[in-house]
Amino acid sequence: MAIVEWFASTQQAVVGGVLLWASWFKLVHRNASANARRSVLARIVGTERVGAAYRAVGVVEALLGLMLLAPPVLAVEAYAAAALSVGMLGYLAYGKRKAPDSSCGCLGEKHAPVRVRGFLRAGLLLVLSVFAATATEWWPVNSPFATVGLVIVELALVVALSPELDRRWLLPLRRWRVRRSHPLATHAVAVPVESTVRQLWTSAAYRSVVEQLSSDLLDHWDEGEWRLLTYAARTPSGQATAVFAVPRLAYEPDRVRVALVPEEKGVLV
Amino acid sequence: MDILGRRRFLSSAVLGTTATMVTATTIGSVAPEAVADPKLDVEAGAPDPNFVEGRITGIAGGLLIVTGSDRTLNQIHLTKATSVWKLHPTTADAAKVGDGLYARGVRMPDGTLAADAVWLNIVNIQVHITSIGRNVMHLDHHGDRIVGHVVTGTTAAVYNNTPAVSDLSLLEVGRHAQVIGAWRPDTNEVDVATVYSAA
Repeated sequence: MAIVEWFASTQQAVVGGVLLWASWFKLVHRNASANARRSVLARIVGTERVGAAYRAVGVVEALLGLMLLAPPVLAVEAYAAAALSVGMLGYLAYGKRKAPDSSCGCLGEKHAPVRVRGFLRAGLLLVLSVFAATATEWWPVNSPFATVGLVIVELALVVALSPELDRRWLLPLRRWRVRRSHPLATHAVAVPVESTVRQLWTSAAYRSVVEQLSSDLLDHWDEGEWRLLTYAARTPSGQATAVFAVPRLAYEPDRVRVALVPEEKGVLV
Repeated sequence: MDILGRRRFLSSAVLGTTATMVTATTIGSVAPEAVADPKLDVEAGAPDPNFVEGRITGIAGGLLIVTGSDRTLNQIHLTKATSVWKLHPTTADAAKVGDGLYARGVRMPDGTLAADAVWLNIVNIQVHITSIGRNVMHLDHHGDRIVGHVVTGTTAAVYNNTPAVSDLSLLEVGRHAQVIGAWRPDTNEVDVATVYSAA
């Protein structure tokens, strides 16, 4: 089947490219050692050796990536990449079980704990590597546009499965969508109780009785331009309810009023 | 007296007067006990006897049975003077088995806590906003995903420490935020009370 061969022959470049990209973060990136310390690898080999181990993985990925990208098509390269993907799946499973808070440390410097997408990405690379093993030519020559398109689609899939890269494309996309039409912008405008409570705290009326308040906010309701807030109070003459009237639609803490209403047993409970 | 009658009574008590300040003498003598009342009588490092945290494991006749995170069992009395917070100020019957709880009050001689204030399921989390949808915010809390539900009429936003507003349209994806909210027990979802963010 020509189309299967065409597909298989394209995969060397894709898998090789992804491996080179992964190795770049481990060997060249300026935060590589910090990434290493946060990764699951640190749990496996220990924090003293993790830098060397991380770089060793990077060297293996770089060599394999270059071999896959370089001309002679050898099935053994693809099998090695498949083995690396299987190892990756094992590494992710270990991370998921033993170090759920550690980062994958795979394709970027952003902290990204092991999740479903990491497994899907490793699984995708495994499948593509197996396909690459059946390749017969280095780079399909007959339909260059389709080939480049396929490579772009596959790389886009790898990017979509990489939580480390979300802030490069997913967050900007969501930010743009929210800027265009904010999903939470439709709510009616009202003065939240939180705002009234904050105004109350700055008032002299509140400060004059705060020592005697025993509870947090008990009840609140609106009365014309006022919002009324009640608190339980412990006064020297017994239990009482502190009632505050706070301007509801204006910020005027000086106008806050207070009354302490004694709690008559059986009547006001 | 029903709740509306009581509100009317308390409204007239405060709005009928022009007092903006209450001095101690207008509400009774300043008893020496009140002045000498030691507010902080806890030794450094010792647990505060007047504070309880945990989850409600039983409710029996107005008494909340609470199992602390260190497995200590506490019994908590709620009275009409106890404030109960569960996303907003509410009443004692809002407490359900399974709710997380913080309570502050006075320790009684029999070991129970007479609560002055109870906060149910309250959480205070530092997050990044990863996405905003209709009535919902998706939040990232150190790699853990949290769904923040917007409750119309309750959810407030504080931008740059200015007074709280109900307008949430200045929240941005990718921004850091602090969220005070009510956890929905045994889920990764919270109902958002207040969100603090830069704008």
